[in-house]
Amino acid sequence: MIGKLAKTLMAGAALAATLSFGASAQTWDPDYEPPRMPDGTPSFQGIWTNASLTSLERSAMSKSLTVPDHVATAIENGMEARMAADLEPTDPDAPPPTGGQGAGGYNTFWMDPGTRIMRVNGEARSSIIVEPEDGRLPWSEEGKKTMQETRHVLDNVVTDPEIRASGERCTVGFGSTGGAPMLSVLYNNNYQFVQEPETVAIVVEMNHNTRLIRMNDEHRPANMLGWLGDSVGEWDGDTLVVHTTNFHPGNAYRGATRHRIYITEDADVVERFTRVSDDEIFYEFTVTDPDVYTQPWKGEAVFRSSEGPIYEYACHEANYSLPGILGGARLEEKEAAEAAQKSGASK
Amino acid sequence: MKRWLLATAGLLLAASCTTLNAANDQASEASVEAAEASWKKNLSGTWRVMNRGNYDLEAHPARHAMQLREGPWGPLPAKSVVKLGAVGSVPAGPSMLKGDGKIPYLPEAEAQRDENRANWIDRDPEVKCYLPGVPRATYMDFPFKVIQNDEQTLFVYEYANTVRNIYMEDPGEAPVDSWMGQSYGYWEDDTFVVEVTAQNGQTWFDRSGNFMSALGKVTERYTPIDAHHIRYEATIEDEETFSEPWTIEMTLYRLVGEDAELQEFNCVEFVEEMLYGHLRKEPLQ
Repeated sequence: MIGKLAKTLMAGAALAATLSFGASAQTWDPDYEPPRMPDGTPSFQGIWTNASLTSLERSAMSKSLTVPDHVATAIENGMEARMAADLEPTDPDAPPPTGGQGAGGYNTFWMDPGTRIMRVNGEARSSIIVEPEDGRLPWSEEGKKTMQETRHVLDNVVTDPEIRASGERCTVGFGSTGGAPMLSVLYNNNYQFVQEPETVAIVVEMNHNTRLIRMNDEHRPANMLGWLGDSVGEWDGDTLVVHTTNFHPGNAYRGATRHRIYITEDADVVERFTRVSDDEIFYEFTVTDPDVYTQPWKGEAVFRSSEGPIYEYACHEANYSLPGILGGARLEEKEAAEAAQKSGASK
Repeated sequence: MKRWLLATAGLLLAASCTTLNAANDQASEASVEAAEASWKKNLSGTWRVMNRGNYDLEAHPARHAMQLREGPWGPLPAKSVVKLGAVGSVPAGPSMLKGDGKIPYLPEAEAQRDENRANWIDRDPEVKCYLPGVPRATYMDFPFKVIQNDEQTLFVYEYANTVRNIYMEDPGEAPVDSWMGQSYGYWEDDTFVVEVTAQNGQTWFDRSGNFMSALGKVTERYTPIDAHHIRYEATIEDEETFSEPWTIEMTLYRLVGEDAELQEFNCVEFVEEMLYGHLRKEPLQ
């Protein structure tokens, strides 16, 4: 039962009203016949979620791509217990954090990372990445350096809005939620697919970005960069294949709580969407970006049907964070300067 | 696009058949009907207006600027916009209101509108790249794309990645107000009616300070009149702001060829200097 106030708050935070999903552990029927659009192409229409407890990269604790069912269940139960424990209202009388510690952004109420380990064709998975085989991002030395420099700026440099992360700027959803590739993040993992013969539209809930995938078309000129890249699609049998490149550099770093990737302007991302059951889309992708990775890396994930609806995620309109972050830094500098002056004067 | 081309081709073909051979009349009528069916009850396509509604919904002569101040011999551009010159001036436009009327403000609301106008650059949500609300999204200087089929109707606007899902079944009362509100649409004969509720009252109707409160309801009516044009009407009801409901009407034009492709206009980054520039470590001079 969700109270009216809770409902309102949830909608206000643009969290989808669907918090739990019945993930099927069944294997997929190879003869599954998808619903079809009037032109005969498979229909992906409706609302889907890729929320999942399975992270992009494999943790050191998992040695293989597959997770035994009993382990997957234990992880899910553990997560459920943790979420329940953290759902307690925040104590309004709690003292502020001390010693420079952060207060944390959210408690569980605001999060919606999924409740289940991802199952691909009935098999519980330890990572989305299937290639390289170790389930880890194949960073090149150059890529590691780029990432280190980017992280250093994000952690330490608060001089200008342009160098802050896209999630702070509200330019686009964080963590590659909008793709390409589209990855599961902390919340708002919801998507709406709407189709016509010339276009497949994917509304990304976070930051109300819409991917307008032009079917059987060519990429725009390389200077026409898009925050979610430039996407063109084609049908390979009943599989929707989408090619994306020309990514805006403002969305090169894509950080979330569980993954951090880097996608340069010229990266080539190929996604494959295949309906495998009434409530699942099999989502495969390959990222080729020799500027930062030693080899193309491939992921497999699942979009599950969701009741929805999708609410508005108006980020920029109420962005108190970015001026707070910049203004806080200016205040710190002012206080440090005053303190230095004082200590200089007392000498 | 292709669907539209086919429809047009069908129409042309049908038209030439009727003139050339009367015996084919019956078959031609059937193909005309088929071609009509492709646009009559389907809004799919890329659309935009060709009017000055986004400057000012009411009839207005051309004026110096979007924000004015008193000069020695009459109004002049406000200091904040003077350097835009002719680019920042306002072209003339007829009233978008049905019956060419004025917006029937209650006195207090009219005073608010005048104050909004006098402070345009600081107050217009468009200046800050905020979501535009309905009906303003329709007649901004940007195209929008509709994808409509039996199951779903989606409006995607080029401006600021604005997007609206139109519920095809009544969703009941919206759980919360939002910038674009909640839209519920249905066909009434050959008109697609969209009831828009639960907008947050922070959006404007134009660059002239016209507005409504969060209690306002907008009822849009999209009536395709041929393969390339839609008659658009929007009725605004808001007892807190207006003495009676009022309606705007205008034509939507179908964009074809490469013009029909929406471009990206993610203006959030374009307003960072305006909103946060003073918070840079080294503010620009």
